[in-house]
Amino acid sequence: MTASPTPTDAPPLPWTCPFCALLCDGVALARGETLELRGSDCPKARQALAQQPADTAAATPTIDGRAASLDEALDAAARLLAGATLPLFAGLATDVAGIRSLYALASARDAILDHLLGDAIMASVRPLQDRGVYYTTLAEVRTRADLIVCFGTRPAERYPEFFRRIAPGEPRRREIVFVGTDTDPAAAGPDTELEAVPFAGDAFDTLALLNALAADRALAAPPPGPLAGLAARLQAARYAVIVWEPGASGAQGALVGEAINRLVGTLNARTRAASLALGGSQGGYTANQVVTWLSGLPLRTGLFRDGLRHDPWALATARVLAGRNADLLLWVSSFDPSATPPAADLPTIILGHAAMPPVAGAPQVFIPVATPGIGAAGHLFRLDGGVVVPLVQARDDGLPTVAAIAGAIAQRLAAPASGAGS
Amino acid sequence: MSTLRLRGGRLYDPAHGIDGEVCDLGVRDGRIVALHENEPVDREHDVSGMIVMAGGIDLHSHIGGGKVNLARLLLPEDHRPAPRTDNPLELASCGACTPGTLATGYRYAEMGYTAAFEPAMALSNARHAHMEMGDTPILDHGAYVMLGNDELLLEMLAEGGDPALVRDYVGWAINAARAMGVKVVNPGGISAFKFNQRKLDVDEPHVQHRVTPRQVVHALARALTELAVPHPLHIHASNLGVAGNIASTLATIDALEGLRGHLTHVQFHSYGTEGPHKFSSAALALVEAVNAHPNVSIDVGQIIFGQTVTASGDTMTQIRNAALGSPRKWVGADIECDAGCGLVPFRYRDQSYVNALQWVIGLEIFLLANDPWRVVLTTDHPNGGPFTSYPHLIRLLMDKSFRDEQLARLHPEVAAHAALREIRRELTLYEIAIMTRAAPARLLGLADRGHLGVGAAADIAVYREDADREYMFRTPEYVFKDGELVARQGRIVATPVGGTHFVEPGFDGAIEQRIARYAEHHHALDFRNAAIGRDELCTCANGGQLLVTPCAVHGTNGT
Repeated sequence: MTASPTPTDAPPLPWTCPFCALLCDGVALARGETLELRGSDCPKARQALAQQPADTAAATPTIDGRAASLDEALDAAARLLAGATLPLFAGLATDVAGIRSLYALASARDAILDHLLGDAIMASVRPLQDRGVYYTTLAEVRTRADLIVCFGTRPAERYPEFFRRIAPGEPRRREIVFVGTDTDPAAAGPDTELEAVPFAGDAFDTLALLNALAADRALAAPPPGPLAGLAARLQAARYAVIVWEPGASGAQGALVGEAINRLVGTLNARTRAASLALGGSQGGYTANQVVTWLSGLPLRTGLFRDGLRHDPWALATARVLAGRNADLLLWVSSFDPSATPPAADLPTIILGHAAMPPVAGAPQVFIPVATPGIGAAGHLFRLDGGVVVPLVQARDDGLPTVAAIAGAIAQRLAAPASGAGS
Repeated sequence: MSTLRLRGGRLYDPAHGIDGEVCDLGVRDGRIVALHENEPVDREHDVSGMIVMAGGIDLHSHIGGGKVNLARLLLPEDHRPAPRTDNPLELASCGACTPGTLATGYRYAEMGYTAAFEPAMALSNARHAHMEMGDTPILDHGAYVMLGNDELLLEMLAEGGDPALVRDYVGWAINAARAMGVKVVNPGGISAFKFNQRKLDVDEPHVQHRVTPRQVVHALARALTELAVPHPLHIHASNLGVAGNIASTLATIDALEGLRGHLTHVQFHSYGTEGPHKFSSAALALVEAVNAHPNVSIDVGQIIFGQTVTASGDTMTQIRNAALGSPRKWVGADIECDAGCGLVPFRYRDQSYVNALQWVIGLEIFLLANDPWRVVLTTDHPNGGPFTSYPHLIRLLMDKSFRDEQLARLHPEVAAHAALREIRRELTLYEIAIMTRAAPARLLGLADRGHLGVGAAADIAVYREDADREYMFRTPEYVFKDGELVARQGRIVATPVGGTHFVEPGFDGAIEQRIARYAEHHHALDFRNAAIGRDELCTCANGGQLLVTPCAVHGTNGT
């Protein structure tokens, strides 16, 4: 597994950044000993690129901490899986091809499926399942929004290019209001007015008031002036967008989402509004989309022998492990070396980033895999739901893809001759 | 090389005028061939007494893409209980009205269908749609890209709509999305709703672009004609579901000015305003117009009583329908300056006057239309009901006494007064074979599907004759896909990856500058990633065959 660096004088490669769910594709990579971002100053992308090992030769599979050949590691992984009756496939930080391939394996082994950002994903899925949602996408925000309300989030902190991605293509006046946070200078732009409106109480109180005001309901006490002003502007806006971040909305984030969806619904009775939930990085929305279309049910579904069961609460990775409701952990994490598996006293198979530090503990197989968009081409879903962005291979680092590894393990399980058959 | 013979079956192959003739059918390497009677074959099945047809083709079924997946997300309760089958060939997958893609492929194939077409692929969601279809096993598939609510086209039309410009843009879009055709949904209306317009009739202007649905329909139909795309413009007309919308539907036919058009789920567009409930059947008016316009074909969009979910690009309509939804929740979205999406769960009830009448209207359209080559059997899955109800629908069409029994159970006013009571027609196996195979293949320009002639793909369904047509069509004895046995008596026995049908009309590449300029100012995807290449399509579609239908001079009105 050796990297083949491209000469530095090669022109920068038009590139899609896989390191957050914005999936910026108008940027480029200069490829030398290191990979350098061109066309953006995104700190997140720069940090992630700096973590990519220049030489992946040292990244070899291990079995219980000892270096092993890929074949040995695959055999060991297949043996562990064949011996498991309640496997948990978690992490799932990979691309479309990776999830497709893992799904076939999960189906064969009756596994539970969850993502490392499962809590955040469920915080947007659950309000959708309960009441529904009206959402919008980046191009619509860019083209149409005259009022953008960032509720309880400063989007650029976790999605550094967010405001650049939604900047209008032609001069247009608009307001960006931060509710519950300070204004974010990253949101500044020509013809853009920034304002901060404090929470009245907590996020739930604030949304309750906004909902009442937007519906013209009588209130027991007069609302704080800035909030009343915001409600009036929401009612007057031609196209209001409420941006929130399920992963940063606390343990009851789903209820924040539900209140926002209700507000959007109220506004849509007379004018136009939509919400936009920021999330889905590390292949989170990708995993949820692919699992949903293949199985019919979202993440946190168990493909149990007696039937498929979806439970956004009980089938969370942490709860499954705490309740000892799994006897094997398959952990997939191909974007971020620090996304290591949770502590679990279980046989563990890790399909991990080449720079992932060794994890101590239980019987374990580690197989380094390519990062989609670095060592391999691929596809990921963008944070607004329906747009799939192609990823290009930045360099051939010799690492196998998650799809290839899952396929090879499945083959071993299906072939009794390998001795690993179930 | 592998050969197969089906011996002694009764063939229904309307493309060749074969109506129940007893005849052997030979297959070599996935294609239908003429085999000598004594020629040895690798496999032979005695199908004497059985009915042999080409594999079914569903030309309008929401099987893949963003909105279908949102429907799955919205209705986890539709997927309970979710038992797994004992068949090790089937990967885990569940759901009733919007099953997972895997279950969708298995259930279609089990009923003798070998192809289905997603009618509402958003340009910005095309990769996703192809991925879902690629993960729908066994079936070949394709999709129509939605145009006519994309701001760029509306902008072009507002500037005067230079036909050459529109043609090149449509040609580019079809190639970029790897589509089989073009669908227009509530022409201009989805875009208008983004500007808070709540209603848009055929001659009403879009509040922003000042363009009418009539102009949109005509411009798109003309572009497709000039590009020689075999499938006519697929039209979800204005005012879906609104009492009195027959006027909009007839005006839409008029807007075609003789150009080819396929009016989809016409049941939802054939409503009058007569009677005490100001809601009546306009099936007769619709059928008369279709009969009189050989340039027009239709699919019906029959409703089936029970729970389903309506999945549509038509946000303007769905926000209105949301109040009628059951369970009461819904999803809507404005998408990438080119589309929208709205999902409203529905429970069609036979004791509801409106639902009962919708059921009647669909059947009246099937039974009154005089040219089955221009009528395709659909439920607009899942909007009217899930595709798994096709065998039931076929029985309703073939069996007058069964139909009468069902009719008698409906809302009493409908049961007592529906014109359907007086319609004695029972469709024949030959006519069913037209509406479920031969006609859709012809309307799509698929020269080697939908029939049993030499050279055709060996997509074949063999049914055991049974007076209960529902039972018969639910569980074919054998289903072959490209000559491979994929289902036997309702059990999947092989799960090949299906192929992707698409067309590649030629266009003047200079149009790309205009599109790139628009994208730079409005879109959120680099223009370099706007189009799906052939290799990328293959990856998205899970490695299935790429099936290109040529755009050449074709016959008019699909006959």
